[in-house]
Amino acid sequence: MSSDLRPDLRQQVTLLDLVDRVLNKGVVLSGDITLSVADVDLVYVGLRVLLASVATLEEQGMPVAIGDALR
Amino acid sequence: MSADGWYLYGVVEAPPGPLDVEPDVELVTEGPLAGVTSRVSLDEFGDTALSERLGDAVWLEENIRRHEQVLERVLASTTVLPCRFCTVYRTEADVRRFLSERQDQLTAALAEVSGRVELGVKAFVDPERFAAGGAQENEQIRELTAQTAQAEGGRAYLESRRLERLVGDERARFGQEAASQLHSRLLDAAERGVLLDLQRPELSGRDEEMVLNGAYLVSDRPGFERELAALAAELSSRGLELELTGPWPPYNFVSEELRG
Repeated sequence: MSSDLRPDLRQQVTLLDLVDRVLNKGVVLSGDITLSVADVDLVYVGLRVLLASVATLEEQGMPVAIGDALR
Repeated sequence: MSADGWYLYGVVEAPPGPLDVEPDVELVTEGPLAGVTSRVSLDEFGDTALSERLGDAVWLEENIRRHEQVLERVLASTTVLPCRFCTVYRTEADVRRFLSERQDQLTAALAEVSGRVELGVKAFVDPERFAAGGAQENEQIRELTAQTAQAEGGRAYLESRRLERLVGDERARFGQEAASQLHSRLLDAAERGVLLDLQRPELSGRDEEMVLNGAYLVSDRPGFERELAALAAELSSRGLELELTGPWPPYNFVSEELRG
């Protein structure tokens, strides 16, 4: 790294950081919306499991897009 | 043929001034608040269609990224209160009703995060660099390292196992200590902060052990980043690595009463 001031400071956003925020945080509404809160909760849990299994496959040398994992 | 629904990404103060957003993003203004929305087909986002879509990982990833992109472009110009993924109303009137019914809570929540951004900080301990760096501050480990280097045969094996265990214990202790030091110093440089669940190596995408996963609500971003750089400089020789993410819309700082 060129700058000595910030030796270990790296910027990186993983899909997991995104999923943990977009699906698990923010303003949550019940009522007039088309989808129930419980549905999104389920998707969140499912996606976390999926991301873990994709990462495990990649560790074993099998790169996968997360979309391929469900096919 | 298909009816339109309204996807609500987040809420801003009205009028927000010029926003540089995707062409299909519209503001729905109701009193002092505006919803950041886009029209979506209910064939795709209606309840039955949506529950099928939610099992489609390609669709999910695309739309999760889109949700974040829309909000980040708004965040570049103004404070935005993020809604959770797939907040979809059937009509524009429903969006307006939500904005007016929850006006007080939304206004208060916006005021709390106004002019502030969420920054994520993750800290990891690199085992090899710790063994060569931080671990050597422990006298017992230094002595044992020297002994192990001179030992031969079975004794060398036993001593190196003992050394490994000692270094492992010391690393766990250092990780905890560093995490609490980091969190308290970063809290001082931020308005608020929360600790998030640690990510296991297969999820974090890194082999090193994660010891801190924090989110901080920050108004003085240069000051916060200076403090982070100072911490990195202090702790990196001992094997600690830091990662900064953001700025994020303040997902982790939405008041409890708006969290369902």
